[in-house]
Amino acid sequence: MKWLLRYSFLLVIAACIVFFSFWNPVFLSAGNQMNILEGSAILLIVALGMTLVVAMGGIDLSVGIALDFGAAFAVVALKEYDAAWYVAILAGIVGGCLIGLLNAVLIVWLNVSAFMATLGTFFIGSSVQRIFTNGGGPISHRRMPQEYRDLAVGDFGGVPTEVLIAGFVLILYFIFLERSILGKRIHAIGLQPTAALIAGVEVKKIIFASFIIAGATCAIGGLIASANIRMFTPLSGFSYLLDAIAAVFIGASMHPRGRPNVMGTLVGVLFLGILANGLNLMGLNFNTKDALSGVILVLALAFAIGQRRLTSLRKGQT
Amino acid sequence: MTPILDMAGISVTFPGVKALDKAMLTVLPGEVHGLVGENGAGKSTLIKVLAGVYAPDEGVVSLGDEKHISTLTPNLVHTAGVRFIHQELHLVPHFTVAESVFMGQEISGRFGLDKSTMNARTEDFLRETLNADISPRTLIRDLGTAERKLVQISRALIDGRATLVVFDEPTAPLASDEVDRLFAAIGGLKSKGIAMIYVSHYLREITHISDRVTVLRNGKAVKVFNEVSDQITDPMISAMVGREIAEMFPKKENTSNKKLFEARELSGMGFSQVNFDVAAGEVLGIAGLVGSGREELIDTIYGLLPVTSGSMTLKAEAYNPKRPAKAVKAGVALVPRDRRHDGLVLDQPVIDNINLASLEEVSTVLMEKRGVAKNRAEAMANQLDLRPRNVTMIPRLLSGGNQQKVVLGRWLAKGGDLFILDEPTVGVDVGAKVEIYALIRELAAQGSAVIVSSGDPLELLGLSDRIMVLQRGFLAASHDAKDVNVDSLVALTTGGSSGAIE
Ligand SMILES: Nc1ncnc2c1ncn2[C@@H]1O[C@H](COP(=O)(O)OP(=O)(O)OP(=O)(O)O)[C@@H](O)[C@H]1O
Ligand SMILES: [Mg+2]
Repeated sequence: MKWLLRYSFLLVIAACIVFFSFWNPVFLSAGNQMNILEGSAILLIVALGMTLVVAMGGIDLSVGIALDFGAAFAVVALKEYDAAWYVAILAGIVGGCLIGLLNAVLIVWLNVSAFMATLGTFFIGSSVQRIFTNGGGPISHRRMPQEYRDLAVGDFGGVPTEVLIAGFVLILYFIFLERSILGKRIHAIGLQPTAALIAGVEVKKIIFASFIIAGATCAIGGLIASANIRMFTPLSGFSYLLDAIAAVFIGASMHPRGRPNVMGTLVGVLFLGILANGLNLMGLNFNTKDALSGVILVLALAFAIGQRRLTSLRKGQT
Repeated sequence: MTPILDMAGISVTFPGVKALDKAMLTVLPGEVHGLVGENGAGKSTLIKVLAGVYAPDEGVVSLGDEKHISTLTPNLVHTAGVRFIHQELHLVPHFTVAESVFMGQEISGRFGLDKSTMNARTEDFLRETLNADISPRTLIRDLGTAERKLVQISRALIDGRATLVVFDEPTAPLASDEVDRLFAAIGGLKSKGIAMIYVSHYLREITHISDRVTVLRNGKAVKVFNEVSDQITDPMISAMVGREIAEMFPKKENTSNKKLFEARELSGMGFSQVNFDVAAGEVLGIAGLVGSGREELIDTIYGLLPVTSGSMTLKAEAYNPKRPAKAVKAGVALVPRDRRHDGLVLDQPVIDNINLASLEEVSTVLMEKRGVAKNRAEAMANQLDLRPRNVTMIPRLLSGGNQQKVVLGRWLAKGGDLFILDEPTVGVDVGAKVEIYALIRELAAQGSAVIVSSGDPLELLGLSDRIMVLQRGFLAASHDAKDVNVDSLVALTTGGSSGAIE
């Protein structure tokens, strides 16, 4: 019974799957399953970065910018500097780190709230991209090295590289956030920063590093995106922001104490992926689809959170 | 006389704990009724049943002439005239006194809010009922803790319909001279015929102001005292803990006198040019009123506030931590005064709280070894007699004394050379106090230096080898504990002025 309540969100997902496969049997085909995974890879990577920041008690509105910078740095390195594919990857990650660094400096050194600081970074990063691309024109690079291309289109034994990369990042994040002592400290900071400080946790250093790690993580998403379409499209990262936030909070709603957590985020991302894919197969038009997925998301969240509140009320907590 | 409140046969069960077991409580009109018991005895749970927060498994609550069997709701209780003064203050710092009092129950005139009426009524109420002279236009942030408490009380009572007021540990955040003001206010309420339930761990307060006392133990009402005097303190304690407590304080065995920590001409925010030292094996008490610089001095030693001039030495080396992490590395531990806010991560399991300062010791290559962490926490829970002995529980659900044991457990697990304890027994019951005192002396006996800062003179006298007194940021006196008694210590802290309670 407890299990059932705790994983009620999985039931919602199961219900969606049953519904979509009745509507269109193609939904269940192996090919479509792989589509869903592939379509979710970048969002998962970005959402993991977001999970880290939210678990630490912050929010990162600039994940899309970090993603853009990752793509831009890599594409420019390839195109303008003829860099080798691995140098381009490094350059991209450095690009993401810079965004994280800007957030970290604003938050830790200048004491700006995470919300305001990352919003500021969002505006600054957007303007920089527009200026740099003369108003937002894409930078395309047709002759991309195959190794770089393979980030998005390659596969190992039939599993697409991007799914493997996302899986690898997922495992790293799981170990980092849920099993390591750094993760313990990050959760403690997220729950009660002064208590963590007094227990001797290096609160500022950890917050500083975490924002940089989050930026670097999102940049990996940018690498995959740019390899896929062989270009850098300015401001394209923005589309991941709200989905990443949604995925983290879906994940948190599944946790017994409402905490953001890596596995929950995975479920959140898959749920969003299934929803988008299923609604697509139903052949709805763009606007209806958007509205519908919003409604389903809110209902599902209300359901999951309501269930949790019920269980805790029964225990007499207020 | 028909009781104004009669709770009979109340049982409440939480997963794994029977918090109340056929408990009873009867309050007569116009009396102050003391409610005492160990941490976890069920006092707050009983109060929450009355508030309609928890529905009891069984039992009857009668308010006035009406019987309610598990149908109490917060609204119903409010309508019946019951008001609660919770331990936490919940006031908005930039509101005025009158705004705070009338928040959610504003009076509106023809042109929006009727500020002048609200101001006038607040001022009258504070003066006439609570015997307090506070301007209704003052901002909350400019008030002291005792005054804020009075504002909180006014807010609950301003509508004039209160018949029963429940105080849950109202004096815990107050300094001893502020307690008097609260008592004056309670006297005012009593003269208006309002009945009160008064929950506190300070037995002196209980005997001072109650007309009758109910003692809870393990969820049962084990004793009701219908006559209250100083003589009932000992029977009250043995009813609470179920045994005799021979000695409140352990023996002092100060062995070494090797200086471990030293402050020279130390100045910081709120104190200046303080000189003192603590030896290994010694317990140094710090006394002082609120505003004496006691809190700031401790925060400075722990790296929470900056040193403005002067120097500190720890183990014969210069010591100036810029942040707590450095202090911890140097071997300093702090048990902070506000354990719920600063001491514990309330929603992380006890295991994690106990290991938080020494995570490296329960890990390999930064990976936590959950089994080792759990064993360590359980060993600590056994040593400290944590109740319930469940280290996967979150501290939010533990009673006050057990929360404090978790904070202590963290530093015992970590170990250290200098232990600083700020108000270590606020909200802690007698039984647990004795255990905590024993632990503190034990730390000293094992060669640590201990600093205890406290507003309770008895605690300082019983526990310390030496006591230093701060007054308005300056070191006013420093004595061997043998050479002072309660009266002289109170006189020293208040600078000779009277008005402090014994
Ligand atoms: N929501 C809850 N869930 C589980 N157990 C609880 C909960 N609330 C209280 N308890 C347990 O019920 C018992 C009674 O707790 P209660 O808070 O009433 O004690 P108390 O007498 O107020 O103690 P204190 O003096 O420390 O405030 C304790 O063992 C406590 O751990
Ligand atoms: Mg209580």
